[in-house]
Amino acid sequence: MKKYKLAIVENDEDERFFMADAFNAFKGFDIIGEFSNGDQLFEWLNGQPDTLPELILSDLNMPGKNGYDVITGVKANFPQIPVIITSTSSVSSTREKCVGLGAREFMVKPDIFIAYDRYAENLYKLISDDEDQQIRI
Amino acid sequence: MTPNSSILFDNLPEGVFLLDAAGHILSYNQAACRITGYAATEIENRPFFILDEDHEDTIKFQHELNMAVQNGKWVSEGWRRRKDRTRYWAEATLSPVFAGDSKLSGFTVLLRDTTERKNRWLETKASEERFRLMVEAVKDYSIFMLDPEGYILTWNEGVQLIHGYSASELIGKHFSIFYTSADLIAEKAENELRIAQQQGIYREEGWRVKKGGSVFWASVVLTALFNDQNKLVGFSKVTRDLTSRLRDEEVLRDSEARYRSLVEQVADYGIFMLDEKGRIVSWNEGAKRIKGYAADEVIGKYFSIFYPEEDIINDKPKRELRIARAVGKYEEEGWRLRKDGTRFWANIVITAVYDQENRLSGFSKVTRDLTERKLGEQALQESSNRYRQLASELSIANDELSAANKELEQFSAIVSHDLKEPVRTVKSFLHLMARNVEQDQFQNMKTYIGKGIAAAERMEELINNLLHYSHISKSDLIKEEVKVADLFHAAIQNLNDSVEASGAKVTLQSDVDSVRGDRVQLVQLFQNLLGNALKFTRGRAPEISVQCSEENNRVRFMITDNGIGIPREKLEAVFEIFRRLHFSSEYPGTGVGLAICKKVVERHNGKIWAESVEGNGTTFFVVLPHNQ
Repeated sequence: MKKYKLAIVENDEDERFFMADAFNAFKGFDIIGEFSNGDQLFEWLNGQPDTLPELILSDLNMPGKNGYDVITGVKANFPQIPVIITSTSSVSSTREKCVGLGAREFMVKPDIFIAYDRYAENLYKLISDDEDQQIRI
Repeated sequence: MTPNSSILFDNLPEGVFLLDAAGHILSYNQAACRITGYAATEIENRPFFILDEDHEDTIKFQHELNMAVQNGKWVSEGWRRRKDRTRYWAEATLSPVFAGDSKLSGFTVLLRDTTERKNRWLETKASEERFRLMVEAVKDYSIFMLDPEGYILTWNEGVQLIHGYSASELIGKHFSIFYTSADLIAEKAENELRIAQQQGIYREEGWRVKKGGSVFWASVVLTALFNDQNKLVGFSKVTRDLTSRLRDEEVLRDSEARYRSLVEQVADYGIFMLDEKGRIVSWNEGAKRIKGYAADEVIGKYFSIFYPEEDIINDKPKRELRIARAVGKYEEEGWRLRKDGTRFWANIVITAVYDQENRLSGFSKVTRDLTERKLGEQALQESSNRYRQLASELSIANDELSAANKELEQFSAIVSHDLKEPVRTVKSFLHLMARNVEQDQFQNMKTYIGKGIAAAERMEELINNLLHYSHISKSDLIKEEVKVADLFHAAIQNLNDSVEASGAKVTLQSDVDSVRGDRVQLVQLFQNLLGNALKFTRGRAPEISVQCSEENNRVRFMITDNGIGIPREKLEAVFEIFRRLHFSSEYPGTGVGLAICKKVVERHNGKIWAESVEGNGTTFFVVLPHNQ
């Protein structure tokens, strides 16, 4: 099973803990960075880390640079890295705004922190499907 | 021949031949030699016709001899040929000579060379011919030659075209056939000839008769012709058909009459003429209808009777005529008076009218009653204004609705994001605990309960703030004059603890005594702005200055701090509700403060914005209308 290098941006510490837990259990992801907001993410990315993530999963509402800032910032400087925005909101205008700014996908968070296992599976499927498509092209 | 007669014979200046009865030359004189070029006796015994141009024409020669015998004399004119074969024109007179017993013994021939005379005649003839052709070819005029009594001698092409007769019908006729019977009774033709003879020429225009009896309007010129001896030899008569010219004039008269009746009957336009001084000289139906005067009531009056008094005092009618005279035309719209004194809104055009010699002969004036149209336009304008007002009201309502809609959207976003989050946290930890209890794991229970309580408290705080914000948005404004110093001090008072704790230096400098607004909300506004300035300091002692000034009937507040500043791209976002730039662990708060500020300012019809150098202080600007 291919492991995707993943960076997680989420300001809620508890939530981030459960996310990381579920992704590690799924084994399809290799979490190479955890950040509390966009400012921290970009500080890390701009510091030229040894490894760049293949995928960024970011919360939308965060103090400082939020999910929208993450989309535009990554698109501008690291256009090869897809950004998945995640939020408890399922308001369609929010989803449309994110996709319009360049997010690869908008995924609604699970009802509770402890239900991230299914979420991790869906995310993996989305990304590997993308890769298959690119190989076929 | 006797010697005397022989001398006579030889010296006659004309050529003389003696022929025998058969026409052979017996002898001829010296003049004959000179004319024909033959020597004496050279052509004796030759037939006379060898002198003819056509030597062989014996038939003709015999005929001539016969005719001479028959008539006693025969003159023939024609071309002859000299010995050297050159031609000459000659007149030959043949006379028979009879012997005593009346028996023909021969002929004498008198031959005269008339070449020169002939040539002159030919030249004259050619010139006359040219002239004749010219006259005959003239088509627009009929040209006759009349004899002294008035009988037609010659005619030209024009005759047939104008009079309808052919040449053969006219030659020899008296020219009075062109006259009407009335003229004939008056002996007009004879009179004209007499006048022409006496005065040399007679001219007139009058009716003449064509073949078939139809008449035409003719211009006639009769000229008496006198010869060298001043004797009347006849008349020339030149006639021209003027009927078409007359018809044009009639057509013009007809068209003028039609035009006049047209103008008189037009009912929608008042059309009338003024003389050069502005007196009315004509009047039509429309003028009567529009102005209420009958023609006999206004003709001769000055057209100023249609003008309101103030126009007359301003000398407007005269000025209009002056302009029309200067530039040809004057046009305007304005009030005019009817006979009954009521006003009507008129469109008028005054045009200067010139006669054929380009002298001003008066003015035409065309008046239209636009009152109804004007009222219509007014009604349209009013209705358009009404609709515009309605549209602007609708637009305002629409703006309000969309603002409300936007707020609703914002509210649902808040509920779904910000309020849901702590609920989700509480729920998550409850589920986690339930799972752990099932598995008999109790070690982290206290932590989980603590996190759940914290999340519930955060939710309560969010709800309280949201209610506060909603209250600020919806509550009625109680507007009053509020002293700026009072606002400032009340806000500082409420923040007293943090001012003292941070050791802040807060100054107020105001040129404005008071501002109109809701005291509670304005205090809240300053309290929030000052509160932020006290909070975002990164440990530095806050220095805050509040400046208040008036400009363009607006009050401007500048709240400047020395805090951490705001990134340029977040200068607008900071006013969004629940928008936070920092973690609450670092700078506690819920992200409602500036949203409330914005709401308060908007409700007071003002503006709020921030300027900042990141890391080096922020200035918040608040501009409020001074007198609402």
